[in-house]
Amino acid sequence: MTNEMTNIVVEVLPRFEGYVYPNEASLHPLWGFLIVLYPYITGLVAGAFIMASLVRVFKVRALEPVYRLSLLTSFSFLLCATLPLLFHLGHPERCFEIMMTPHLTSPMAIFGFVYAWYLMAVLLLELWFDYRQDLVEWAKVTPGFKGIIYRAFTVGVTDESPPAVALDMKMGRILSVVGIPSAFLLHGYVGFIFGSIKANPWWGNGLTPIIFILSAIVSGIALCVFNYMVLTWIRRHTVDMRCLDTMAMFLFYALVVDAAVEGLDWLHRGFAAEEGFSVMQIMIREKLFYTLNLGQVTIGTLLPLLLLGPLQLLRRRVPELVRRRMIFSSAVMILIGVLAMRWNVVIGGQLFSKSLRGVMGYKLEFAGVEGWWLGVVLLSLPFIILTVLVKLFLSERLPSSGHIPQDSAAGEG
Amino acid sequence: MRRFKLPPQILRLVLLTLAIVGSYLIARAFLTPASFGEFGWYRGEALVELRSRPPVYAGKQACDECHSDQLQKLAKFEHQTLSCEACHGVSREHADNPDVLPVKLTGSHCIRCHEANPSRPKWFKQIVVRDHYSGKCTECHVPHQPSQTP
Repeated sequence: MTNEMTNIVVEVLPRFEGYVYPNEASLHPLWGFLIVLYPYITGLVAGAFIMASLVRVFKVRALEPVYRLSLLTSFSFLLCATLPLLFHLGHPERCFEIMMTPHLTSPMAIFGFVYAWYLMAVLLLELWFDYRQDLVEWAKVTPGFKGIIYRAFTVGVTDESPPAVALDMKMGRILSVVGIPSAFLLHGYVGFIFGSIKANPWWGNGLTPIIFILSAIVSGIALCVFNYMVLTWIRRHTVDMRCLDTMAMFLFYALVVDAAVEGLDWLHRGFAAEEGFSVMQIMIREKLFYTLNLGQVTIGTLLPLLLLGPLQLLRRRVPELVRRRMIFSSAVMILIGVLAMRWNVVIGGQLFSKSLRGVMGYKLEFAGVEGWWLGVVLLSLPFIILTVLVKLFLSERLPSSGHIPQDSAAGEG
Repeated sequence: MRRFKLPPQILRLVLLTLAIVGSYLIARAFLTPASFGEFGWYRGEALVELRSRPPVYAGKQACDECHSDQLQKLAKFEHQTLSCEACHGVSREHADNPDVLPVKLTGSHCIRCHEANPSRPKWFKQIVVRDHYSGKCTECHVPHQPSQTP
C-alpha cells in the first residue's frame, strides 16, 4: 500500500502548477476523452441532418446525390451518440434505469427526451417516409433475409398509389422542417450543458450553444463530403462535380460564419477580460497550445478557409482533380479541427483550478475506459453501421423509385 | 359527405406509436422499484438498506475503555484531534471482542496528510516523499508523540 500511495502522490503532483483545490487533485479530470467524443458525434449527427435538409427544405437540387447518404450518416452516428456516455459512466446494464424514471429537473436528464425525440420522432420517421415506396418495391424483388428486413421495415403498408406517395413526400417535408429546429435543439442542448456552468469561465458563456451548433453544421457537412467521396471512390464512380462544388460552397460559408462567431467570442472574452481571463491565457499559450492554435485554428479553420475560399471565385479555372483533392483535404482537416475544438472545450475546461490560480494536467492514455483506443473503436462504429446501412438502403443493385426529395408538391399537383 | 379516412401509413404509425408507448408504460410499471419517489427522486428503501448495514467503526470512547494510557499520552501532542481508527484501522469487532485484532494498516497513512500539497496551510508539516526518505516513517517519528524522536 505504501508504494501504491507514494506512486499516486508522485505521479499526480508534478501535473499541478499554482494553487489547486484538494478535490481537484486527482490523477485524471472527471470528464476524459469519451466526453470529448460525445459532443463530436452529436455534432456530426446534427450537421449531417442539416445537410440533408438543404435538399428537402431549401430545395438545393445539386445536392440530391447526397440526400439519402446524409440522412443515413446522421442516423448511424445518432445510434452511437450515447455510447461514449454509457462507457464513461460504467455499468451499462443500468442504462435503462434512466429511461424508467425520466424527470425534468436536471439538464443532464433532459438528454433522454432530446435524444428520443430526435431519433424516434424526426430521423427515423423522415427516413421511413422517404424510403417507404422503395421498401415496398424492394420487398417484392428481394429474396431471403434481406427481403425479410425490407418487408419488416414496410410495417405492412404496401400502398404505392400516387396519393399515398404524395403523402409520404409531404410528411417527409414536414418532418424535415421540424427536424431543423430539432437538430439545433439536439446540439444546442449539448452546448447549453457546457454554457450553463456558471462557475467555469471557459464554458459558462451565452455564445457556447451557438458555437456548438455552427461547428456541428461545419463538421456534419465535412463528414458528408468525406463519406460521399469515399463511397464514390469505393464504387469506382465519378464524383458529381456539381454536387461536390455545392457542398464545398456550403461548407465554406458555414465555416466563415462559424469562424466569425468563434472569433467574436474570443474578442468579447479578451475585451471583457473578466477574472478568469488570465488563466485562459495560460490555456491558450501553454496547456492547449497544440490542440487550439494548431488543431482548431490552423488545421480546422484557416487552412480550409484558404483552400475553399479561392475555389468559390476561381472554380472554373481549377482542374477537377485538383478541386476534388482540395475539397477532400479541407473536409478531413475540418473533421480533425472540430474534434480538436471539442477537446479544447471539454478537457480545457477542466485543466484549470476553480480558484483560477492554478492549472492541472491531462495525459491521454492508450488503454482503459478513457483511453484513445476505445475512442477509435467508438468512432469507427458509426462507419461500420453506415457501411451496413449503405449496403441495405443505398444498394446499386436495387431499383430506386427516383422520386425527387424536394419536390413534395409535385406529387400532389 | 365523404367520410375522413386515415391514410394507411399514418394509421400504421399511430398503431406502432401506441404499441411502443404501451410497452414502455408496461415495462415501466414492472421495472420501477416500488419505493421509488417515496421521499424524493430515489428509491425510498435505499435508506432502510443503508441503515441496516452494521457499523464498522467503534469510536474513540470505546478505545479509551482499555487504552486510556495511550489516549492520555496522545492528548498532549499534535495528533490529539485524530481518531484512533484513522491510523489503526476499523475496530468495531476488536472493541466487542479483544481477541479479534483490528485491521492492520501499513505505513502509507502518514503521507495522506503530510505529502506536500499547495492547498495545505504553510504551518502544516509537509514533505515531498520522493526527496525525503525511502524507509519507514516510524524509524524517525513516533506517531503518538510526533515532536519526539524514538
